[in-house]
Amino acid sequence: MIRNFNIFLIFTSVFVLSSVYGLKFSIENTASERTELIAQIDSQEGELSILKADEAVLSQPGHIGPIVARHELALAISPVKQEQFGAFADLPMRPVQQQPNSSAMNSLFQALEAGVDPIDAILELEGIE
Amino acid sequence: MAVADEFAPTISLEGARKARGNLTQARIRWMVLAMVLGFGLVGARLVQLGMVETDSTIEGQARDVITATRPPILDRNGLEMAVDIRVPSLFAEPRRIIDVEEAVKKLRTVLPDLDEKWLRARLTGDKGFVWVQRELSPAIQDKVMRLGIPGVDFITESKRFYPGMSEASHILGSTNIDNQGIAGIERHMDSEDVALLQDLGLARGNALAPVELSVDMRVQHIMHEQLMDAMTRYKAIAAAGVMMDIHTGEIIALASVPDFDPNDPKSALVKDSFNRITAGIFEPGSIFKTVTMAGAIDAGAVRLTDQFDARFGVRFGRFTIDDFHGKHRILSLPEVYKYSSNVGTIRVMQALGKDNYRAFLSTMGFDARVPFELPEMRLPTVPKNFSEVGAATASFGHGLSVSPLHMVTAYSAFVNGGNYIAPTLYKRTVAEAEPLYRRVVQPSTSEAIRYLMRLNAIGSGGSGSQMNKLALGFRVGGKTGTAEKVVDGRYSSSKVTNFFGSAFPLDNPRYAMIIMIDEPKAESAQTGTTAGWNAGTVTGRIVQRVAPMLGIAPDFSPLIDDSLVPASLRNGPPGSQFN
Repeated sequence: MIRNFNIFLIFTSVFVLSSVYGLKFSIENTASERTELIAQIDSQEGELSILKADEAVLSQPGHIGPIVARHELALAISPVKQEQFGAFADLPMRPVQQQPNSSAMNSLFQALEAGVDPIDAILELEGIE
Repeated sequence: MAVADEFAPTISLEGARKARGNLTQARIRWMVLAMVLGFGLVGARLVQLGMVETDSTIEGQARDVITATRPPILDRNGLEMAVDIRVPSLFAEPRRIIDVEEAVKKLRTVLPDLDEKWLRARLTGDKGFVWVQRELSPAIQDKVMRLGIPGVDFITESKRFYPGMSEASHILGSTNIDNQGIAGIERHMDSEDVALLQDLGLARGNALAPVELSVDMRVQHIMHEQLMDAMTRYKAIAAAGVMMDIHTGEIIALASVPDFDPNDPKSALVKDSFNRITAGIFEPGSIFKTVTMAGAIDAGAVRLTDQFDARFGVRFGRFTIDDFHGKHRILSLPEVYKYSSNVGTIRVMQALGKDNYRAFLSTMGFDARVPFELPEMRLPTVPKNFSEVGAATASFGHGLSVSPLHMVTAYSAFVNGGNYIAPTLYKRTVAEAEPLYRRVVQPSTSEAIRYLMRLNAIGSGGSGSQMNKLALGFRVGGKTGTAEKVVDGRYSSSKVTNFFGSAFPLDNPRYAMIIMIDEPKAESAQTGTTAGWNAGTVTGRIVQRVAPMLGIAPDFSPLIDDSLVPASLRNGPPGSQFN
């Protein structure tokens, strides 16, 4: 009975021992992975800071200005002049339209009122009922 | 198993001793098996460890201990003006260096600037840590790593970088190698709270909120460019300019050349590269006449319709003060301003009274430092009490010295409706600025000053006409000031400091600006050395470029200018009209 119990204990302790070791190693692995990731993040943050600084340099007016000046002739560009600005309020009014022929309109209305539709004559001429 | 087999065919005889012997042998077998298994495990682990490639990059790597970061500085449109970059710094552990000679020779192949003797002394000894060179580039780091010198390694440090280079140098200032602010807004930020955070070790990483300044880098660029241009165009020894939002007190641009590159703080030590806007005090010359006019008009001592006798110079004992290119006739008040008559201005000041005039200067903050963020400031020198002659010279800006920042703040107050607002480099809205307003002149005085400034730009014979030709349509008005410099105890007519104080667009003013050109020469034989020819034209060129950026559209309608003429002058005397 004692013997069996001892055998059981030996196996249990061996099993526990191995699992504890396994746990220890896996934790160490995770820790080193973590350190590695931190180092990676750090170096990437460093790279990012350099890239951001690069972007800031490239978008400075002081950086773009000389480039514009260099290509002024080739691109035919120059600083905007005051005369080039405009506003909707500055647009001229629409030119005066030709007035409709009021006497012709009057005679048409009179004819219609009298019961004569000028279109009938045209339709008749064309042969359309 | 082989061990177990040797003992296998045993003849077993029944008996207690035999049985006991068998049991012993079985136990030995088990033990041997356990030992073999145990040693096998150890052996296998050793083989496994031998096969694993150790990753030296993570072991014992020095973490970035010295990353005291600073918040990024942005301009009012969110463009970076200062950022932190991570750069490698080279250090050595002398006690781990095996061959110093070899290390010195190898390091000097990559870093030839290092002095051989210095480096040898640096690497010899039993110290645990010495800097070799800080803030290197990643490319150099790579090269040094490739040399494979034991006891030499890198640590990542934060370094301040200013992408605008020298353009906003006097605003930003600079930091030292330990990333502490030593000048400009950087130093001001440290005195605020960053230093405390760094002490507590909290200022690590990128968690710091960016600081937004009031500066517009586009305007700053134009101003810097135009001042550099003025330096060569007029062969001046220095030039400076400042532009302020008159309603919020925000500084939109501030430049002073010669300047320095904040990325190379050593260049700030060069003579004459100080900030002339805040740390320079000058006799302001005729731009100070605006102050005299404002004081006298505000107190009701003079009216725009008054006439002043400028036929003869004013005598004080053995001194006679006369006009430069004087008209020598009776002048109306607008003419006094337009022709910049010293005699007329003295009469205006005398109408106000010298003590009232001195009190008005105190009201305008001329005898104290302007409340401002930059640490580089100098106290103005304004006499405590004026003598008769002292007050007379002060009325046209001689015998007292103030900074251009004083002048721009005063001009802002004169055109914004009469409220003194202290300038700031931080972003501020009108609503935030209004509680800080201090009324210094009445709105009607502000209206009169706006009219006078515009008259000087477009009236015939006005000293601002050169400026207005360039900035046509943007309703700029201003006053020239040509202050003679004191050379060997006397005023010299050949060495002058020129100013132009302006505001635009005057129908609804938004910005005030002071431009200073120190010791300019005539650009060509046809031009002069007075302020209208240099400080004035620089102002015109700047406004012409920046007004559209600031959302000001040109308007050529004469009605706008006519509306600036105060009612009392609608049919006023000749010389007070805009033509």
